Amino acid sequence: MTMKLDRRSFIKSAAATSAIATAASLFPGVSFANWKKLEGATGMISWQKAPCRFCGTGCGVLVGVSGDRAVAVKGDPNCSVNKGLCCVKGYHSVQALYGKDRLTKAKVRKNGEMVEVPIAEALDVIAAKMKETIDKHGKDSVAMYGSGQWTIPDGYVASKLFKGCIGTNNLEANARLCMASAVTGFMTSFGLDEPMGCYEDIEHANVFVTWGNNMAEMHPVLFSRMLAARKRKTNVEVIDFATRTTRTSQAADKTIIFKPQTDLAVANAICYEIIRNNWVNQDFVNKHVSFHKGLTNIGYGVEDHFKFKDKAEGISFEEFETFLKDYTPERVEKISGVSANDIRYLASVYGDPKKKVTSFWCMGMNQHTRGTWINNLVYNIHLLVGKISTPGNSPFSLTGQPSACGTVREVGTLTHKLPHGVVMKEGARKMAAEIWDVPLSNIDPKPTYHTVEMFRALDRGDIKFMWIQVTNPMVTMPKLKRYRDGALKEDRFVVVSDVYPTPTTDVADVILPAAMWVEQEGMFGNSERRTQHFDQIVPPPGEAMSDTWQLIEVARRLGYEKQFPWDEDEYIGKIWEEYRRFHDSPKHNMAPYKVLKARSGVQWPFVNGKETRWRFNSKHDPACTSGEDFHFYGKKDNRAWIWARPYEPAAESPDQEYNFWLNTGRVVEHWHTGSMTRRVPVLHNAVPSAYVEINPDDAADLGVVNGEMVKIISRRGEITMPASINGRGVPPRGMVFVPFFDESYLINEVTLDAFCPISKQPDYKKCAVRLEKA
Amino acid sequence: MKKADILFGKVVTGFAALCLSGAVSVLSASAAPDIPYGFDSGGEKIFNRYDDTPLSSMAGTAGTRNLNSFYELRQYPGSPPRIPHKIPPAFAAEPYDCISCHGRGGYVAELEAYAPVTPHPENEACFQCHVPRLTEELFVETNWLSIRPPAIGRSQQLGGSPPAISHSLQLREDCIACHTGPAAVAEIRVEHASRGNCRQCHVPLVVTEPVQEFTRNN
Repeated sequence: MTMKLDRRSFIKSAAATSAIATAASLFPGVSFANWKKLEGATGMISWQKAPCRFCGTGCGVLVGVSGDRAVAVKGDPNCSVNKGLCCVKGYHSVQALYGKDRLTKAKVRKNGEMVEVPIAEALDVIAAKMKETIDKHGKDSVAMYGSGQWTIPDGYVASKLFKGCIGTNNLEANARLCMASAVTGFMTSFGLDEPMGCYEDIEHANVFVTWGNNMAEMHPVLFSRMLAARKRKTNVEVIDFATRTTRTSQAADKTIIFKPQTDLAVANAICYEIIRNNWVNQDFVNKHVSFHKGLTNIGYGVEDHFKFKDKAEGISFEEFETFLKDYTPERVEKISGVSANDIRYLASVYGDPKKKVTSFWCMGMNQHTRGTWINNLVYNIHLLVGKISTPGNSPFSLTGQPSACGTVREVGTLTHKLPHGVVMKEGARKMAAEIWDVPLSNIDPKPTYHTVEMFRALDRGDIKFMWIQVTNPMVTMPKLKRYRDGALKEDRFVVVSDVYPTPTTDVADVILPAAMWVEQEGMFGNSERRTQHFDQIVPPPGEAMSDTWQLIEVARRLGYEKQFPWDEDEYIGKIWEEYRRFHDSPKHNMAPYKVLKARSGVQWPFVNGKETRWRFNSKHDPACTSGEDFHFYGKKDNRAWIWARPYEPAAESPDQEYNFWLNTGRVVEHWHTGSMTRRVPVLHNAVPSAYVEINPDDAADLGVVNGEMVKIISRRGEITMPASINGRGVPPRGMVFVPFFDESYLINEVTLDAFCPISKQPDYKKCAVRLEKA
Repeated sequence: MKKADILFGKVVTGFAALCLSGAVSVLSASAAPDIPYGFDSGGEKIFNRYDDTPLSSMAGTAGTRNLNSFYELRQYPGSPPRIPHKIPPAFAAEPYDCISCHGRGGYVAELEAYAPVTPHPENEACFQCHVPRLTEELFVETNWLSIRPPAIGRSQQLGGSPPAISHSLQLREDCIACHTGPAAVAEIRVEHASRGNCRQCHVPLVVTEPVQEFTRNN
């Protein structure tokens, strides 16, 4: 029946299309096209390279320019990431510059009204307010909340101003919400952040396992690179290990569905099977691995002032083996819903010495109240069989934002971090003080607030002033109502730098119009340690100003001219060369400015003019000095660490009253909160509104059909939105899924602000809700 | 994978059976071992497609697609077109789904039209770049402008000479896919579809990019 309906409307739309075609054919040879024409253009396009503005893949694009307008895009064939192919967001990315409601003038709240002012006046207001707040309430009452979409210079000057000059560690970025568990996973397992492998692994691997990762939509260019590798070879398979059925499942050779949170148990069961079958790579493990355990029952962080510090303790291989006895495939089948056979199958894939295995993951593992643990556990699997740091053998943590790695993780725009090392270490503070030319005593050795706690502090009033750049927390914070109410409280002052009006500019006291993407010079850093420079290609509109320059202007108004001395025509190059001093070692050398300008991205460590493809592998990595085939030099014992981490349940699981899991995420057309992609006609027209995916049987029980409104209720709030049944994703019974891009349907009113106690990253994938037909 | 459930567009021409294998044979690599796939702007595709396509299906003249309907679906010259017809909501864009019609073309009864042939069937994740249109409404009006679509139809360089290839070859290397057959855009359909070595006479000269003039060194 539904098929029939589909066909009928299909024919209807076909008839409409051919009517247009008929009308158009009355004027042969005259093209009307679908866009307004640039008047007086020569018809010539010049092309300039840039990294794509959206996800963390870091595709190279060529921006086509006519006059001072970006008019076209093509994939950059010189960029090894995407080799000339983009996704639908990338191909239409330049249109995101031209939404009619671009912010082009600064606004300041006067008597309750937002009033347009010259940008210099707005910058004066910000500096005066910061000074006043620090004088009255101390330096830790002002805070900055940045972004993985910050350029590297944006994040660097923010760190220098807040940590070096003002002397507060109140500096966080939205990457806390997307990558923090990846970072703590790397740090606890290897002692150094970011993947050891690179995208070239895709052409070498025989098996891909996507761990809770709908790559077909979230990293489409890497996904199609994987499909292309599968098509050209006969021995490649893709295994989708997921909590719901997605486009990735449809393309995969095998889909294995597990119950939310039980990836922890399955990963341990895989290790159990690897050991039981003697698939352990003994030589590798003896030489390069040490075993550890940490604390258990570590909590969920739902209460204010939550504190947790893990304690590592060395264990033997035998103790690790004993720990795994709880995770037999049969026992884990009961917890996870994954059949013991499928668990054995997964173990056999990792265990087969003839197969090269690449694991991909992103938010499914990172937005997890045991996010650090599950990152550790997947490394455990790869380490036990020695499938790591060699072409095709790669545990690969993908990034969601274009510069979550480059800016937040490498520059260190998190409360505990400095551009090199952490604030708690005197050596790191000394290095920063020297390069920044500030007194050592300026840099506070105590971290303050991670993101969730920072917004709690704003709500409590411990923070009075917050400056938000390039991000939209009034859509993305979990348990949103508390944090929106907090931002709106009487004596809170919120500055927002952005390119379009958003729910976050709605709570602002000052709005600064920002230059976007190629309207400024800058660098991003992608998922595979690749730093990507872009020139200013078109001018920003009106008084819009780069985020870096906004920070410099305010820093100078606060009296820090000495630390921010650069000219506007060369500041990016100067900042890069200053920043590069922090990473001056074979473990992290960055390419010089000139090299970055010339190439479509350069991987670090960049040593003696060469990029490092596989870290910790002596054949590829000049920082290896042990004389062995591998050298895990990040840890003091020169080994990679396997961790005994148990399965512990989610912070909130379905019960009698709230009987559904709520899972949230993204779609290929929209990027994050949609503030850019919804202003791109093709993207908005394709997915104009959010929806709630419901399993067809649950929908039948509830009595709703496709498109009918459903109320989703949690202990935090409720939201009513249209149902999607058998749409592009199908959750199992007992789960619903909602994409978070739509500011008209704020799903985070419903989510829970529980986080991983180690990484402090919230879990957006699991909380309990109930449904009502609206 | 539930191919049977979602197989949707039925191709009802005589070579329906060929369609499922067609895209694959268009891809078949005949280069020497270790030569990377796709060298010479994927020129191999032209020969494979030529061998693969019956003369009769290169010659048809449906004439229902023209430059206007072509640009209607695009945002600038060279942008990936939107999908102009309805697709079932769970449509997966698996190879069989889109490629069953767009791999080799042919008449589609539901649409009363010939399916245009994709020049890059090797890219399997069609929805990565091509998306449908569920609404005409915009979220916010746009100030987007782009250049006028380039002129076509005659040599810019020398009257009577074979016209140059006016567009970049990136993702559009397969001349025969777009320039021949009943679904070809009327204005760019070639009159001599039976010749297979297109780049014998037509060479790239991208009209939106400046002409590189020859100058001697020294």
